[in-house]
Amino acid sequence: MGQQILNAIFIGSIYALFAVGYTLVFGVLDILNLAHSAVFMLGAAVTYTLVVNHGQSFWVACAVGIVVAALMGLVIEYVCLRPLRRRQAPPIAALISTIGLALIIVAAIEQGRPGTLFAWLWLDGANPVTMPPGSFPNPTWHVAGLTLEASKLAIIPISIALMLLLGYVMRFTQVGRGLRAVAENPRAARLMGIDVDRMISLTLIISSALGGLAGILFGVALGDISPYIGRDSVEVRGLAVIVLGGMGSIPGAVLGGYLLGFIEVLAVVLLGSNVRAGVAFAALFLMLVLRPQGLFGAQLREKI
Amino acid sequence: MDFLLQLITDPVAFWNSHTLLISQIGINGILASSMFVVLYSGQLSLAAPGFMAIGAYTAVLMDLYLHTPLALNIATGTLLAGVVGVVVGLPVLRLRGVFLAIATIGFIEALSLGVILNLPITGEGLGLKNPNADPLGGIYIVLVSMAVVVFLLWRLTKGRLGFAWSAIRQDELAALSQGIDVARYKLIAFVVSAILAGFAGGLESHLNFFVDPNEYGVPRTVQVLTFAVLGGSGNVFGPVVGALFLTTLPYVFQQAGDYIGVVSGVILILVIIFRPQGIVGRGGFAFVKPGWWPRAQVRASSTG
Amino acid sequence: MRRVGLVSVLVAAVIAGACGSAGGGGTTTNTYNGKTIKLGAVLSITGAGGVYGPQSRDGMNLAVDQINKAGGVNGATIALTVKDDASDKAQSATVAQTMIQSDQDLALLGPTLSNSAVAVHPLAESLKTPILAVSTTGINIVPNCNFPNTTPCKYVFRDSLGEETAIPDNIKSYAADAHPATGVLLVAQDDKFSSDGGKIVQDTVGTYNINLLKTIKFNKAEADLSPYVTQAVQLHPDVIFITSLGGIPAKIMTEARKQGWQGQFLGGNGFNTATVSKNAGAAGLGARSASAWYLGNSFPSNAEFVTAFKTAYGHDPDQFAAQGFAAIKIIADAAKRANLTFSDLPGDRDKLRSAMETVNIQTPLGPFQFTSNHDVKQTVWIIKMDGSGGFTLVHEIKAS
Repeated sequence: MGQQILNAIFIGSIYALFAVGYTLVFGVLDILNLAHSAVFMLGAAVTYTLVVNHGQSFWVACAVGIVVAALMGLVIEYVCLRPLRRRQAPPIAALISTIGLALIIVAAIEQGRPGTLFAWLWLDGANPVTMPPGSFPNPTWHVAGLTLEASKLAIIPISIALMLLLGYVMRFTQVGRGLRAVAENPRAARLMGIDVDRMISLTLIISSALGGLAGILFGVALGDISPYIGRDSVEVRGLAVIVLGGMGSIPGAVLGGYLLGFIEVLAVVLLGSNVRAGVAFAALFLMLVLRPQGLFGAQLREKI
Repeated sequence: MDFLLQLITDPVAFWNSHTLLISQIGINGILASSMFVVLYSGQLSLAAPGFMAIGAYTAVLMDLYLHTPLALNIATGTLLAGVVGVVVGLPVLRLRGVFLAIATIGFIEALSLGVILNLPITGEGLGLKNPNADPLGGIYIVLVSMAVVVFLLWRLTKGRLGFAWSAIRQDELAALSQGIDVARYKLIAFVVSAILAGFAGGLESHLNFFVDPNEYGVPRTVQVLTFAVLGGSGNVFGPVVGALFLTTLPYVFQQAGDYIGVVSGVILILVIIFRPQGIVGRGGFAFVKPGWWPRAQVRASSTG
Repeated sequence: MRRVGLVSVLVAAVIAGACGSAGGGGTTTNTYNGKTIKLGAVLSITGAGGVYGPQSRDGMNLAVDQINKAGGVNGATIALTVKDDASDKAQSATVAQTMIQSDQDLALLGPTLSNSAVAVHPLAESLKTPILAVSTTGINIVPNCNFPNTTPCKYVFRDSLGEETAIPDNIKSYAADAHPATGVLLVAQDDKFSSDGGKIVQDTVGTYNINLLKTIKFNKAEADLSPYVTQAVQLHPDVIFITSLGGIPAKIMTEARKQGWQGQFLGGNGFNTATVSKNAGAAGLGARSASAWYLGNSFPSNAEFVTAFKTAYGHDPDQFAAQGFAAIKIIADAAKRANLTFSDLPGDRDKLRSAMETVNIQTPLGPFQFTSNHDVKQTVWIIKMDGSGGFTLVHEIKAS
C-alpha cells in the first residue's frame, strides 16, 4: 500500500506541475492552451535527442529542453494568440489555433527519422524511447519494503519549489502584480501603463517552461518518451485537474493534481485497474455539474 | 494527384473504387451537422463521439443478439443516444463556453473508459465484431441520409428553432429578456445533436466489421470540431464542406503522406486566423463575439 | 490509374510480342516477359504500429529488389507500393480498397496490426483479392477472418507465426526448464493483440501447473503503469506474463525490476523486436518469448538474407523484416506457377490464390508451407533478451 501511495504522489506531482501551466494561461488570458501538452512532450523529446543523438550531458540537455519549451511558449503567443487578439476573436478561436499548433508539433516529432525533414530532432519516429541507463544519476533505495527511486523522488521538491516560487512571484513582485492586473481586466491594465502584450508573452513563457519541465520529469522518471505522451497521458487529465482545483487558481491546480493522482491510484487498488481513467472523468463531470468553480475558484457570477 | 485525376477523367470508376471513402465522407458530413447544431445555438459541446458510440454499440449488439433488421437497429441506437442526450444535457445546461466543452470531454472519456471498456457485453477493450457489416453497399444509405439530414437542418434553421438558436448564440441574456425559453431551446439543440451523432455512429458501425472503443475519444472530437471550423458553422453547409475537404485531404496529398499532421495543423491555424468564418461563411466570425462566452467568471481569490 | 495501367500493359505486350519470340518456343514464360506484377502493402509506418511497419516494408522491398535483379518472375517485374495506414483501422480499410479497386493490385500484404486486420481482411475477402498477413498474430485471423462467422476466408493467408502456437510453446519450454508455480498476467485490455495473447496465456497455464494469481488489466495508452506493476510485484509471482506490444513491455520490465522483483518475464510476439530489447535494457535480461525467426538461425536462405539486409539498410533485420521478405518470396513463387494472364484481373487473383495454397519454398524463416487453414507451419525459436538490445537463442522447436 505504501508503494501505491508513493506512486500516487509521483504522478500527482507531474499532473500538478503540468496543470499549473494550464491554469496560469487560463487565469491571465481566459484561454485554454491546448498546445500545452505538445510542449510537455517537446521538453522530453529535446532532452532525449540531445543526450542520445548529439552526445550532450544530461544536465545540459535538460536546461536546453526547458529553454526550448519556453521559446515554444513565445511561438504560441506570436503564431496562435496575438493575431487573434488583434482581430478580436472569441476565445474559441484561440482554442482551435492552439490545437492546430499541437498537431504540428506532434507530427514534426513523429516524423523525426534520419533522412527526413525533421531529422535533427529525432526520437525514433512513432516509437517510444527511454533515456539510456546511466545517462543520469538515479540511485534506488529499498526502505521499509518500499522502492525509492531518486529520479521520482526528485519530482517532489522540484515541483513544490517551483510552485512556491511562482506563488511568490505572483503575489510579491511587480511582474506578478502586472500579470494579475491583466488577468482581472486587460483594458484597465493597459490604461494603467502595463504592457499587456509583454505580460501575456511572459505568461506563455512561464507556463510553457513549466510544462516542458513536467515533460522532462515525466519522460525521465517514468521511462517513456514518445510523440504521444502529451496527448495520451496529460492532456485530458490536465483538464480534469484544473476543473477540480478551480480554473485560474494555482493552489487549486496543485491540489487538484495530487487529488487526481490519488483518485486514480485508489481506483486501481480498490476497484481494479479497469476503471482508473473512467473514475477521473466521472469525477470531472460531477464537479462541473455540482460545483463548476472547482475547489478554489470563486463563485461563478452571472453577468447582468 | 492521381486521385483527383481519376475523379475528373473517370468518375464512374472513381465512384466504384472509392466507395469506402465516399461513405466516410457521408458519415463525417452527418457528424459535422451534429456539431453544427450545437455551435449554431452557442454551445461548445464536444460530446459527439460519445453519442456515436451509443448509436454504434446499440445497433451492433441488437444485430448480434436479437437479429433485428438494420433499420430498427440504427433507429434504436439513435433513439437511445437521444435519451442519453437528455440525461447529459440537463445538468450541463448552465455551463457555458469552455466549461461545457470540458464537461462534455469528461462525459465521452467517462463513457468510453469507464463504461464501454468494462462491460463484457461490449467486448470491452476489444470492441465488437460485426460480421454483417456491408462496407460497400452502405454507401447509398449513407449518402441519402446525409442529404436528408442537411435538408432538415436547413429548414430548421430557417424556422423558429433556428431563430431562437441564433438569438441565444449571440446573446443569451438578451434572448432571455426577449421571452425565449433559453434552457428549453438549448436542450433541444443538444438532444438533436446527440441524435444526429448517434445516427452517424449507427451508420458507421454498419460499414465496418468492427466497432472499436478507441474511436470515440478526444482525437475524434477534435476531428469533428475541425470540420465545423474549417467549413464554417454559420450555416448548415459549412461543416459538411469542411468534412468533405478534410476527409479527402490525406488522399489528395498522398505525396505529403507522412506530413499530413503538419498540414492539418497549418490549415487549422491559417483558417482560424485569416478566414475564421470558414470556407462557406460570410465575412467576420461565424459565431459572434464574446457575449455568450463570459469572461472573468471564475477567479481564485488570490492567484498566489 | 486504370487508363495508365492499361496503356503500359498494351505497350509492354506489343514490345514483348516484337522481341519475345527471339527466345524460342511458345512457353508460358513468354507471356510474363515485360509484364508487371502489381502488389500493394498496407502497413503501419506511423502511429502505434510504427514500431513494426517499417521493418516489414524494408524486408519486402529487399525481396522485390533481389527478385527483379535476378530476372523477375519469369521475366515479369514486381512493383510493390507501400502505403501507410497510420495505425488507423478506418484508413487501413480505405487504403486497402483503393489498392484493390483503383490501383488494381494483384494481391495485398498486411496490415500490420491485428486491430486493422479485423476490418481489412473481410474486405479483401469480399472483393476476392488475396491478402497475405505479415505481422498479425492474433486469433481469428485465419481461417475465420470474419469471426463469429465460421465460414473460412479463402483469400486470407498469413506467414506470421500465430500466438496460439508461440505462447504455449514458450510457456511449455520455460515450465520444463524451471517449473514455476505462480504467475501474474498483465494485459492491455483495449488492444486486440494483447488481449488475445492474454486469453491464450490464461488457457495454457493450467496445463503446466502454473497458478495464475491475478490478471491485471490496463489501457494501452496509459503512460504510468507503476500502480499495476506494484500490484503484480506485491503478489510475489514466479513469472510475470506480458502480452503487449510497443513501448509497454519495456516499461513494465523496468518498473518491476526497480521495485525489486527478480522473477521471470514471459512474453508474446511483442517482445520480438530490437526496439523492445533495447528499451528494456538490463531489466529485460533473460526475458523469454517464442519467435518465428532468429537472427542466427541456421537455415540456408537466412544467412544471405541477413547479410543483404545489413548491406542495404545498415542494421540487423528482425522477425518482421524476415516475415515481410518471406511474404514477397511466397507471392513470387505462387505467381510463377499461377499461369497469370495479365489481362483478367479477377481470374488472375483467383489463380494466385490457388497457387499460394501449394507454396513450398525455402525462406529465412526456414522451409515454409501453409496449413490447410492458410496458417503457418514452421520451426519455433525460443529466444531471450540479452540485456543490451539483442537476443540469444534458448531452444529450437521444430515444426511437428
